Amino acid sequence: MKNLLNKLGSSLKAFGHSVVSGDIWVKLSLIIMGAGYFGRKQIMRGILMTLLEVGVISSIVGVFMPYMSKLNTLGTVQREEIFDIVTMKKTVNDYDNSLLILLYGIIGILVILAFIALYIANVNAVYRIQKMAEEGEHINSFKDDIASFKNERFHITLLTLPSLGVILINVIPILFMVCIAFTNYDENHQPPTYLFTWVGIKNFVNLFTTSQTITFGYAFVRVLAWTLIWAVLATATTFLGGILLAQFINHEDTHLKGMWRTLFVITIGIPQFVTLLLISKMFGDNGIVNTMCANVGILDFFKHIGLLSPGDACIPFLSRPGWVHVSIILVNIWIGIPYQMLVATGILMNIPSDQIESAKIDGANKFQIFWKITMPYVMFITGPSLIQSVIANINNFNVIYLLTNNYATGNMYMANSHAKECDLLITWLFTLTNEYSNFKMASVIGIVTFVICAALSLLTFSRMIGGDKEGVYR
Amino acid sequence: MKRKLVSALLVSTMAVTAFVGCGSKAEETSESTATANSGDASEGASSEDAIANLIAATEGTVNIDLWCSETEQYQTVMKKLCDDFAAQYPDVDFNITLGAVSEADMKDRVLEDVEAAADVFVFPDDQLEALVKAGALNEVAAQYTYDMNETDTPATVEAAQYDGKQYGYPFTASNGYFLYYDKNQLSEEDVASWEALTAKAEELGKEVGCETANGWYLYGFFQGAGCTLTENEDQSNNCDWNNETGLAAAESLQSIASSKAYKSYGNDDLLANLNDGKVVAYVSGTWNVNAFSEAYGDGYAATKLPTFKVNGEDKQMASYSGYKFVGVNAYAENTGWSMLLAEYLTNATSQEAVYEATGEGPSNTEALAKASSPALDALAAQSEFAQLQRVGGNYWSPAESLGKNILDGKVSQKVLDDAVAGITQPVE
Repeated sequence: MKNLLNKLGSSLKAFGHSVVSGDIWVKLSLIIMGAGYFGRKQIMRGILMTLLEVGVISSIVGVFMPYMSKLNTLGTVQREEIFDIVTMKKTVNDYDNSLLILLYGIIGILVILAFIALYIANVNAVYRIQKMAEEGEHINSFKDDIASFKNERFHITLLTLPSLGVILINVIPILFMVCIAFTNYDENHQPPTYLFTWVGIKNFVNLFTTSQTITFGYAFVRVLAWTLIWAVLATATTFLGGILLAQFINHEDTHLKGMWRTLFVITIGIPQFVTLLLISKMFGDNGIVNTMCANVGILDFFKHIGLLSPGDACIPFLSRPGWVHVSIILVNIWIGIPYQMLVATGILMNIPSDQIESAKIDGANKFQIFWKITMPYVMFITGPSLIQSVIANINNFNVIYLLTNNYATGNMYMANSHAKECDLLITWLFTLTNEYSNFKMASVIGIVTFVICAALSLLTFSRMIGGDKEGVYR
Repeated sequence: MKRKLVSALLVSTMAVTAFVGCGSKAEETSESTATANSGDASEGASSEDAIANLIAATEGTVNIDLWCSETEQYQTVMKKLCDDFAAQYPDVDFNITLGAVSEADMKDRVLEDVEAAADVFVFPDDQLEALVKAGALNEVAAQYTYDMNETDTPATVEAAQYDGKQYGYPFTASNGYFLYYDKNQLSEEDVASWEALTAKAEELGKEVGCETANGWYLYGFFQGAGCTLTENEDQSNNCDWNNETGLAAAESLQSIASSKAYKSYGNDDLLANLNDGKVVAYVSGTWNVNAFSEAYGDGYAATKLPTFKVNGEDKQMASYSGYKFVGVNAYAENTGWSMLLAEYLTNATSQEAVYEATGEGPSNTEALAKASSPALDALAAQSEFAQLQRVGGNYWSPAESLGKNILDGKVSQKVLDDAVAGITQPVE
């Protein structure tokens, strides 16, 4: 951040210096951006730069200005239509679309910011060329410029597409979502027919408020807690399970290693959707597992040991808090372990055998070898990907949503905020947008999730990769 | 500096694409306004003139998207009706595309992007409000081929109104719920009350029930007991389910539900257990008519909902009456033709064809007179206890949770108070 500010300051300083001590061409390029290049016989570059200037300015004025000028209100003219019953045609007024105003407004601001940066950099560059010309250095022709993209500026050629992608699919949507959180975009304010507008931080206040009617605060704390517990447990269990499984399969006494591996990999082959939907049916209150448990006597056994009350008609695998949480994690272990097993197999095969052998010579037993050599090694290799999978699990929509689609909460406070005990932030967000068109609260929850994920990854990554731990294993 | 130049270039490319995208859209709207103004209107023209005008003013192909239920019966009959409609106007070149969208998801699919959604779509009455609120429905400002006030039952016409404006064309009137039962196993006295029904079912070792953890059905018990649930203008709800009657109703339902024979199945579980021969009576609607008639064979029967005891008094369980409407998208490309198609799909002959194909009861009185089946008769018997569904969105989650509490045997004044607080929570 500081770095960025410094850079900004120095480029502004350079800009001042360029303007003051530049010659006529530099000063001309304050108005026509290509002028400085024309003066140094860089015709093509000059034309491109001028065209770019014209294009950007006209698109700002022609396209973005009408939207940006309404950004403060997000539109005032609501859609009105008149149907002529004689001609059967409809006349519609020139209405504002809050969603488009917000979207184009954001893009417009980004374009302007980029243009300002370009403008300053352009003047600096022109001044630099002036300096080069005065000192008699070689000034690149257009051909040289093109060629440089294949050589010393190859990184720019490579990074163009990725950075465009990042701006289009990351930066703009995130900015957009952040903005929605400060509006009243919900089922009563849906564009294009209706307008929505800014409401300040009211939605954030609501998220942390609990009263009998506004229970977002109550629901949020519980949903967040379960989200974090789930993320850690889901990652830890599948990770450990995967390593153990890989270890068992790799064991020298295990026969038919290939077959075992294939068996477990088959579960990956079946789409998760299918497996999860099937499991949610099988473990439903009236599903096949419950029928079997009742027939075999497991239901009575659970009642006998006090896990269930005598009045229960079924085992509530996926329909009661606590039960549902355990079931979800168990199911996730089952569908998650094969992936981790594959990862772990690769790593286990690459453990330097000299370490294990020397440990054996020193008289370490198998458990000690596993715990003191294998595990630290695996942890070191997979650490960053573990953090990654914790984050992925925070946003693990599939498992939770597909398993608990039919879950009905018995907790009134949760229900009043359309949340369920087994909801992750992401599935709660989905219910709010998809079923209740409550985009404003969904955005607020989205921002909170984003902050949590970002903070978690920044913290852990900087700790994990920051230190010089590589030497330990060399 | 070069890097900045490149990134700036990229931004401006994006700006240009945005420009292109927007430009074409702006043109589109201006074009449609232009055609709207160009139509030559003669004062006091009759509806035939209006249609003639429309035909004259129509150039090129008329594209209409129609979304309706994904079931084979629906798709087939709607395809045929659309072809018939196109044949009526030989001078016009139609391109009517049929899309399969489950009616339960219609609202969500339409509201995903109103401007891109189908021009004409079939939707159940409980989605009317959300669709109107999002501005997705075209008002039925005039009718050209028939007058629904004369041809359709008043209740269905009224159900398609919101704020005094007509938003939908009545299509079917059989989307409510009633009781299916197996008359080989249950007598008429058995199905008269929930108490008798559960007692008999326990004796038989069979199952009966109603999806209690679902606000749509739960409403029937509280409304029947004499409680009220109404909607305010700002889409918040009024609800008095936490008064003495409400508590008594909840406790009564809780004791009924505590019977071993009483089940609260979702639709999938219901069908599975029905096929296993376990379920002998269940509250459901015409969408399951084939499943029940196959499962019960010659014992197949249907009747109005049973009564239940509240404070020692027998109360008739109420219900939501359900309708399906044909709606025209407010952003339809060809509003005029879309309206004419919607009219055609809902006229007497079309409704009859739909009844024959799907078994769903017509809203048109003429077509209704020709339709008769146990399910439709049961609906007719229930109709005097059925109310039009007008309820704000905050009702469903708390009601589901309340139903779950009742099933779990956890009814208390506090649970009802919290449920009512959630149902009546203010809408911002």
